This record gives sequence, C-alpha cells and structure tokens, in this order.
Amino acid sequence: MLHFILRRLVLIVPVLFGLTALVFAIARLLPGDPVALAAGPNATPAEIAAYGKEFGLDRPLIVQYGAYLSGLMKGDFGVSIYTRRPVIEDLRAYLPATLELVFAAMFLAIAIGIPAGLAAAAWRDKWPDYLSRVVALGSISMPRFFLGLLLQLLFAMWLGWLPLGGRFPITEDPPALVTGFLTLDALIARDFTAFSIACQHLVMPAIAMSLSPLATIMRMMRASTLEVMQQDYVLTERALGLSSRLIMLKYVSRNAISATLTVIGLYFGWLLGGTVLVETIFDWPGLGLYATKAVVTQDFMPVIGVTLVIGTLFVFANFAVDLLYGVINPKVRTE
Amino acid sequence: MRKKFPKDISRRAFLGAAGASLAAVTLPEAAFAQSGGRKVLIIASNQDIPNLDPHIATGYSASFLLRNVYDSLVKIAGNPPKPVPGLAASWTSTADGKEYTFKLDPAAKFHNGKPVTAEDVIYSFKRAIRLNKGNAWMIQGVVGPDSVSAVDATTVKFALLKPFAAFLQVLPWIWIVSKADVEANLGTDDGQNWLRTNTAASGPFKVRRAEAGNLYEIERVADGWQKGGGNLSGAIWRIVRETASQRLMLQRGEAHIAVDLTSEDMDALKDKPGVVSIIEPEYRTFSIKMNTRHGPMADPELRKAISYAVNYKAILDAAGYADLMIGPLPNGILGHNPNLAVYRTDLAKAKEHLAKSKVPNGGIKLTFVHVSGLEQQRRWALILLDSLKALNIELDIKPMIWPDMVAACRSPETFPDMFPVYQTANYGDPDNIAFAAYHSSRNGNWQNAVYGNPEVDALIEKGRSESDEAKRIAIYREMQEKVVADAPDIFGVLEKRKLALRDAVQGFAFVPVASNAVECLGLSLK
Repeated sequence: MLHFILRRLVLIVPVLFGLTALVFAIARLLPGDPVALAAGPNATPAEIAAYGKEFGLDRPLIVQYGAYLSGLMKGDFGVSIYTRRPVIEDLRAYLPATLELVFAAMFLAIAIGIPAGLAAAAWRDKWPDYLSRVVALGSISMPRFFLGLLLQLLFAMWLGWLPLGGRFPITEDPPALVTGFLTLDALIARDFTAFSIACQHLVMPAIAMSLSPLATIMRMMRASTLEVMQQDYVLTERALGLSSRLIMLKYVSRNAISATLTVIGLYFGWLLGGTVLVETIFDWPGLGLYATKAVVTQDFMPVIGVTLVIGTLFVFANFAVDLLYGVINPKVRTE
Repeated sequence: MRKKFPKDISRRAFLGAAGASLAAVTLPEAAFAQSGGRKVLIIASNQDIPNLDPHIATGYSASFLLRNVYDSLVKIAGNPPKPVPGLAASWTSTADGKEYTFKLDPAAKFHNGKPVTAEDVIYSFKRAIRLNKGNAWMIQGVVGPDSVSAVDATTVKFALLKPFAAFLQVLPWIWIVSKADVEANLGTDDGQNWLRTNTAASGPFKVRRAEAGNLYEIERVADGWQKGGGNLSGAIWRIVRETASQRLMLQRGEAHIAVDLTSEDMDALKDKPGVVSIIEPEYRTFSIKMNTRHGPMADPELRKAISYAVNYKAILDAAGYADLMIGPLPNGILGHNPNLAVYRTDLAKAKEHLAKSKVPNGGIKLTFVHVSGLEQQRRWALILLDSLKALNIELDIKPMIWPDMVAACRSPETFPDMFPVYQTANYGDPDNIAFAAYHSSRNGNWQNAVYGNPEVDALIEKGRSESDEAKRIAIYREMQEKVVADAPDIFGVLEKRKLALRDAVQGFAFVPVASNAVECLGLSLK
C-alpha cells in the first residue's frame, strides 16, 4: 500500500510540471494587449512599455517561465498586472470560500445521492425509484444559476428564512480566521450562533451546486447496486437467511460504491472549476469569479495561478479516490 | 431475475430521516439586521477595490474609499459641480492662471494625530508625479516635480508648468498622504506595497475591514478634524455582482444604496415602498468611433452618409434612461452648445452624401466590433446593421474581448471600421472629454485611436490653458463645430446615472461627477 501511495505521489510531479508549462504557454500566447489595458486609458505608449517592463514582460518567454517556476518553488504566484496584488494573497482570500462551497455541495450530493440511489435500486420500479428518476432528470436538466434564482426567490424573498447571498452578515464580524472555512472557524471559536449563521448562508448556494452531482451519483449508485444485486453471492446470502438490511448495507452497498467513487472524484474537480455562476448569484466571494475576471482581462498571473491550484486539487482528489478504492475494496490493496 | 425488496427497511423511516436532514439545514432565523446602535450605510456595487494606494488605485470603487478616507486640497460639490474647500480652507490664483496658493485648514490632522502641513502636500504631489500611475495623468504636464512649494507650514503654492483651466476640477482626485507614515514604511517601492493595504490619511473615515472581492468597511474617525456631517458610524462597500441581486437587496433593505442598476432594474423599482430612485444626467458619453484614417471610412462623405442614416430614435430607445448627444461634448457641460447642428436621421441627406463618396452605390462591408457580452453594444450593432441596409452597406458584427479591442487601437490598420466607446468624465470640465477623445496625441489609445485634426488640436490646447470662462465657451463652441464637420464619431447618447436609495438615507445630494463613488460625510440614516 505504501509503495502504491509513493508511486502515485511521484507521478503527480510531472503532471503538475506539464500543467505549469501548458498553462503558461497558453496564457502568454493569446492575442490581446492586457498591459495597455491595465496601464489605463491615459497611458502613453512609453508608459505602457514601462509598465510591461515593470512586470518583466519584455523578457523572452522562456526566461519569464523560468522566473515563474523559481518563484513558484518559494510559494510566489506572481503579481496581478491590474491590481498589483500578489496572486497568492488573492488565492488565500478566495480559495477557502470556494472549497467550503464545493465541500458542502459534495457533502449534500453524497449524503443524499448514495442512500437515494440505494433506495431506488432496492425498491426498483416502485415509487422511490420513480421519484428518484424524476428528481435526477429534473436536477440534471435544471441550470444551476436558474435554480439559484428560484431558491432565492422562495427562501429569501417570499419566506424570508434565508439570507439572499454572501457568506456572513456584513455588519457582523466573522469568527477569527483559522481555516478560512467560516463554518469550521465558528466551531473552532465555539461560537455556535456564528456557525448557524454561516450554515444559513451556505445552504442555498450549496444546494444549487449539488444538484447535478447528486443526480449523477444517485443514478450511478442505482445502476451499480442493481448490478451487484444480480451477483450469485447475494443470492447465497439470501439463501443463508441474512436480513435484507444487512445484505444491502454491508455487502451490496460496499461493492456498488466503487464505481460511484470515480464519479465523485471527477465531480469534485468539475465543481471547483464551475462555481462561477453560483458565486455570481449568491455573491459568494470565491475563486470562480476571480478567475473569470482574470480571464476576461487576460491577467496572466491570476489565470495561471488559479488553473494550477484547481489542477493540483483535482489531481489530489483523484489520488484520494484511488486510495479510497483500496480502503473499500481489499482486492485493490493487494494488487 | 428480479427481486422484490422485502419490507424490513421501512420506507417511512428512510423518508423520515431524509426529511429531517433537509429540515436541519434550513433553519429560519433573521440574521441580517443592523446590530447595536451603529448606523452603518451599506452600498451595493459590483466593483472591487483591490488596491488602496491613493496614487495608484483608480475606478469608482477606489474613488469611493479614497474620497471618504483621504482628503484632497479641494472637494467637489453641487450640480453643476464646483470646487469647495477640503484640506485647503481657501485659495487664490493669479490672473494668468499659472499660480495657485492654498491656505490649509489649521484644524486638519491625520489619523495618526499629526497636523496636515504644506510638507505633506508637497510630498503627496511629488509621489503622484513620480509614480505616474492612477490619477497622475490629470496633472501630467501641468504640475512638475518642482511646481509645489511651501510658503509656510500651512500655505502651499503651485507654479503650474502651463495654465490649466480645469486645475481646481482635478484637485479633488489627488489625495494627500502623511509624509511621516509613508516614509516610515517606504520599503523598496516607494511605499506601494504598504499603501496597498494600509492608509496614511486624514479623511473623516478610516478603513475597518477590507476583504477583497467581498466587502470594504469604513468607520468614522472618532476625533476627526472634520466636524459636523451626518450620523453615520460607518459604511460598507459590499460587492454584489448581479445587478438583479443589488435590486433585491435594496428592496429587502439589506442595502441602502445600489450603484450599478440597469434601466430594467429602475423600472422594477418604480413605486416600490421605501425606495428612492435617482435618474440624473451625467457626463458619460456612449458613441461609436469610426476609422477616419484607414479603409472606406477614411472618406468623410461616407462617414456623413452613415451619420445621417443611423436610426437615432432606436439607439436612444435601446439605451434606456438616456439623452441623445448633441455633438461631441456632454450636454450641460461648460461650453456645450445645445443648438449645434448635428446629424439626425435623414435618409435623403444620407444618400446625397453617399453619392458624393467613393462608394456611391454602397456595396461594401464594414466591420463593427463590440465587447462580447455587453448587450447594449450588441443592440446598437443590430440597429446599425438595419440602418445601413438603406445605403446598401453590409455590417460585419464581431464580438471581442476588451483586451483584444484595446490592442486593435494601436494603429489605423488594425482599428476596425466602427468601435463603440463609453467615456466617463473624471472631472466636470469640457477639457476632460475634449482632450481624451479628440486630441491627436491620444491616438493609439482606445479613447481616440485614430482621429486627429490640427485645428481641433489647437482649439483643445487653447481651451485648457485659457482661464477666462467666456473665452473658453467660445473656444469649445468652435471646437464642437469642427468635430461635427469631420464626423469622426456617430454621436450617441448620454446615459443617465441610475442610483437607488432606501428612504432611510438622508442628506444625499446628486453631483454629476463620480456620483457612484458615494461621499459619506454628509449622509445620515434614519
């Protein structure tokens, strides 16, 4: 197992290195003139050139890449040419918000999707199955931003139960910063009111984000459960008189979950890169908006930084999934 | 083989558990009321304030923060805007407009408790010029590094490099920093790194919280030197990306002022209880630049033909709350001629000019680029497409991202035939838009990529150095006529400023310059 982990970790290095080269090249080879734009409407050509020089953009691309890599080793992601803020500071500010949202959404998707998928398989062609099918179809076809708006309308405007957007009431001071996850920080500070408030802000965006992974996980779980239920050993267990509850929860679900795990890993990366619409609607100060703005203005360093971070997280999410296969299925461990 | 699942997992238990978990996450509790006795004004805007350095940061969001936290020699107030005392209690100028002397308010002091002196003013101007970023362009070529000198500790003298009529209008945007504070944190970059997140200011408010991409909170300085003002204990600049969300927040009372609303939002807010709408003309133009130097549009007859063919009523309708421009300068600004003879839809005249052009029968295809995603620009492109059909001219509409459009402005060869541009006046003087949009020294830049006429250049230069108001009016009138005769732009609309306030906000007075960078000192909350 240790060998397996080490080998996977070593393989991550060239993947990330390739990612930096690729992203750097793409970001820099695009047409457009972000420097002229950043220098402002009143800059003269000489000022624009000086501005570019300040950021080292007059040097050959390969030298710039070298400088970027050596900076990266020291945790320096470069500086935004628009705001002049170090990218690492922005990542520190925005990434926790996005991660909190993605984790909450994945939590919902898994916590509801897996039992619902199991239930749909267990009561196949009965009403739980039909219900799950309708829910799955609805959630996969419903655009996230539209659902977000509907949720806002219902829970914030009509019922007034939940806040319209944001992470925390702006007139209140949030709990002391430890992890950057407001929910966790509130728990660490033992401030349960703050925790409840942070959760209320998290609910709607998390639901909006979670629906399509939820539907996929549910359908995937149903399909693999049905497949496993056809296996001979399930029949044997029934013949041995084991209770259905035991068969389903202990033997069937464990075997059925492997395939679903792959989907979960993929969705994690997909959600990380796809938060922008939900973030816009709920004013969630996260990475998606930051990245989108950087892309539209061709602000190189933030674009590269965000891509690298999401890429790295994606790689590690899949690494974690690989490890989980081993935990769930002893056969994988020994292979 | 299909099996029926036996009933030893109760469906009711399963659904019950599911329902309970759903209920657990939707706890009803109102958590967005104002806390304590604090009076905090909440402003919803979609623009972030990533840099707090007063000599670097630009944009209306930064202006909001800077004008409340920092002080400048003079401030701007009224409609039309006039300079009023800021750090300078009074000032005098010589008749030739080359020398200004400012007497600082003796009460003025920085947040660190030290008085604001002539030295601080000199230091601030030198730093602004040295860095040559942010708003430094406003005084470029007017204030040199040695122009500012101290007469005594509280008197500063400006010996301008050349007379500049709009001098008092640009001063509100050059902020004064505490020399001692900046010097103590100079680093290797002239304090840029430190001032990016810290302040060295004397204004009525100071920064309490700054969370990039989320909110910026300022609070009233307890023993500030500016007495009076409203009852605000602070204000929050809240980043709300969607204008629809800004509108909803305003309706719910979660925000007191929303600054980026669309015409549709304003319509939706009409008659909503507790909401006050402000729709006022502002010096912000939206027109279409034509390539006067390259391609078919270099022919002035063709430009005139197109100027006459445009359906002005349609572009006005598409712009929502707006007024049609009358010539190149914003309506109502000093020197603007409301009776100027400009192009209005007249197909007969359009065809007349087309007949005189190099393409008397049309049959050409022109390129119109616009910022992708900007709905209003796209609508205008479609209106133009329709208008030009009458002249047998086709329009190729190309959405582009803004950096690519800026890059296209570098030379007449790369500049498209038509290029829509929004232009906001940074100061309430005709020189602002005249110089930025029509002076040939700005060629290669998106505000005026190609147009140049030596006579117009001479008038603009004369206008900015003349201090007699009557003479300036005459100069700008002549300049407007000359520009209209050249037809470099399809003069479009002046979009009205659209703000919405809760009726709890008191003391708000509209100023047609930077009204979205709300000045908080005079405001109160009921």
